[in-house]
Amino acid sequence: MDPEQFQHTFRHLEVEVQKIIVGHDDLIRKVLIAFFAGGHVLLEGVPGLGKTLLVKSLSQALGLSFKRIQFTPDLMPSDIVGTEVLTETSGRREFQFKRGPIFAHVVLADEINRATPKTQSAVLEAMEEKQVTVFGDSHLLESPFIVLATQNPIELEGTYPLPEAQLDRFFFKLLVASPAPAELKEILKRTTGTASAKLSTVLPEDGGKRVNDMQRLLRQVMIAPPIEDYVVRLVHATQPDGANGGPLKSAVKQYIRFGSSPRGAQAVILGAKGSALAENRVHVSYEDVEGIVFAALRHRIILNFQAEAENITTDQVIGEIIKQVPRN
Amino acid sequence: MQVPSPHANDDERPESLIHRLVARLSHHALWDSLLMFVPPAAAMIYVVALFFRAVWLSQNVAVLVVACIVALGALAVLLWRRPRVASVRSAARLMDLRSGAKDHFLTLATVDPANQPVSLIARLRRQTEWFRDRVELKRDFPYRLKRSAYWSFGGSLVAAILIHLLLSLGLPGRDAAAAPERLRELARQMALKPELRGLANELEAVAARLDDPKISAEEKQALAQQIEKKITEQQKNQAQKDNRDLLAQAASALSGQERQQASSGQQQGEQQKGAGGIQTNAPQDGQGENKRTQSGSGEGKGDSSAQLSQGMDPGKSKQPGQDQNRSGEAKNNQSQPEPNQPGSDPKKEKPGKTQGGSKEGAGQQQVSSEPPPQGGPPAERFYKAGEGKEGLKGAGYVTVQLPEEVVADASGESRATKDSKNSRTRTQVPVSNVPLPTHVPNAPTEKQPVPIEYRSIIR
Repeated sequence: MDPEQFQHTFRHLEVEVQKIIVGHDDLIRKVLIAFFAGGHVLLEGVPGLGKTLLVKSLSQALGLSFKRIQFTPDLMPSDIVGTEVLTETSGRREFQFKRGPIFAHVVLADEINRATPKTQSAVLEAMEEKQVTVFGDSHLLESPFIVLATQNPIELEGTYPLPEAQLDRFFFKLLVASPAPAELKEILKRTTGTASAKLSTVLPEDGGKRVNDMQRLLRQVMIAPPIEDYVVRLVHATQPDGANGGPLKSAVKQYIRFGSSPRGAQAVILGAKGSALAENRVHVSYEDVEGIVFAALRHRIILNFQAEAENITTDQVIGEIIKQVPRN
Repeated sequence: MQVPSPHANDDERPESLIHRLVARLSHHALWDSLLMFVPPAAAMIYVVALFFRAVWLSQNVAVLVVACIVALGALAVLLWRRPRVASVRSAARLMDLRSGAKDHFLTLATVDPANQPVSLIARLRRQTEWFRDRVELKRDFPYRLKRSAYWSFGGSLVAAILIHLLLSLGLPGRDAAAAPERLRELARQMALKPELRGLANELEAVAARLDDPKISAEEKQALAQQIEKKITEQQKNQAQKDNRDLLAQAASALSGQERQQASSGQQQGEQQKGAGGIQTNAPQDGQGENKRTQSGSGEGKGDSSAQLSQGMDPGKSKQPGQDQNRSGEAKNNQSQPEPNQPGSDPKKEKPGKTQGGSKEGAGQQQVSSEPPPQGGPPAERFYKAGEGKEGLKGAGYVTVQLPEEVVADASGESRATKDSKNSRTRTQVPVSNVPLPTHVPNAPTEKQPVPIEYRSIIR
């Protein structure tokens, strides 16, 4: 796999998904970056913005196996990972592992915050380990494997917000915004008429192998030591005791309760590499980093009560950090 | 998979361009630091030169100080330049900014090629070469003078000028005090050398005389010239370098002393000129009017002398500006001319101006310290019958009797006092038209003013 092939495939996927999804170009790109970086994505947005449609379209364009799990409070872990069932074959009874919906390349965990923490943790363990263990037997998940979880920021009654430790398992947290008027008009045109767009599969039959090659290439992308240092400084600056004096320290200390974990820095660099490859570059630039840092860090920074009281968002804090941390 | 670079030569690689930029920026930093520190160093060396010229510093000390300044300057240049030398990172970053590359140069310059896939490195280099053509070092990275250079140059210039002015204003007095000390020190050093001992004694004596406030500046200057000549002659005959150096220092000190004496004399003269102007020494005919505009600051229309005119006999002259001229006369031993000439032309009299020259007082006092104009002939109007430019014709001698008050006054100053009996003002000039004794043969019978050229003789 060479960078041209990567960029070609990537671009093709973008175009195919954009046939269905109007707008959200940046969202589509970041989902693809996360996919090729081997991460999972948490999509947050009010109902009706096309989150589920985006995931469906993506899986269809990829030509990979796709499963959807609608999370509800009574959903059990075994409903997701699968369970041992007693079967009778040729007069002999035995337990056989029945795979759950988690065994797919692309898994849509719809409204993940509606399931109980027990069920959520089962999914999150699968996301991290890329394997599930049932009755002592471990079962590897298929590769590539990506979980695209959605959650609704409103209607929080009867939900189980994901704990911070579990949020950290998501590579990116992407916010799905309402469409602009022009985009809404286009959505209406596409969905209220008789004509419907048809997606074509981008990847060949052995798509899984191709994706794995692309994931390997992404990790080979070069990053200059000064840019690595910049990422380190950015992530370190999110720590309330990490910012080095000045106005940044006061802002960080004022609003942040916990800063980003090292996973945040990993996500920034891998995401930046994916972004570089998507632009047919084999090296990371500062712009790549700054374009990715919001998606990679916003769910890893825990704000304190004062920030909530003042309606300060993590994006605002990250923006301030980017402004204050010098590139060199 | 290795993609061969189109540039086989290493010098044409983008990395080499970065290294060339590093070298260029390093030169810029060197220029910056030189322009930052050379002007103050030059100003300091100039000040040292001023001190040396003013004989405050000996040659060895001056050379040592200059060497220290140069060394400190070089050290400052190095220390200041070091953190400002561009690193490969910063140079590559500048290249990226200038060429519009997205950190191509930075990545190429900083990643370790050994740890990267060859194909990706080759690809990166290829992409970077495309941006390389957008950059021309001379055009895109010209040297520009920094603000620090302007500040440094301006500050140094101002400081040098200020110090120069301060020294030129304050040096003569201080030098005058310091030079004899320096000469004594040199004399002490010379006394240690047997062959210079005699000269050392003379120098010591000269130093002592230079300290003497009673000796005039001209005399001091002459003394300094005399001993300097001796030192110069001795210097020519000296074979030892130490001795020659010592003598050179002494000569330098003496020449400095001479300059100071000359400049102090000149300053004195300038002060007098500034205050008093040209002394015409031309007493005016006419009653009570003094047009002897010694000060040149205006016509003498003295109100103060008008007070003295009270009680004077009409037609008798008063001594104009007497009070003001007293000290001046004492200084230059020159008596006031008799303004009231018996034979003066009445047409020239200005009745409204009974007394004159009072406003010149201050100027006259200062001017009077000038040497009297003994050499020049008196103005035409002073010549009487029998006199001419050639001198007095047919004159014998004149006995002049000084007034008692003046005789009693050791200083011989003229003054105007009121006679208690006659209640009129009497002049106390050291010259007077007193009647000559009868026993003097060939004595002229008429009263006559004493010509100016004889006044000093009378005193």
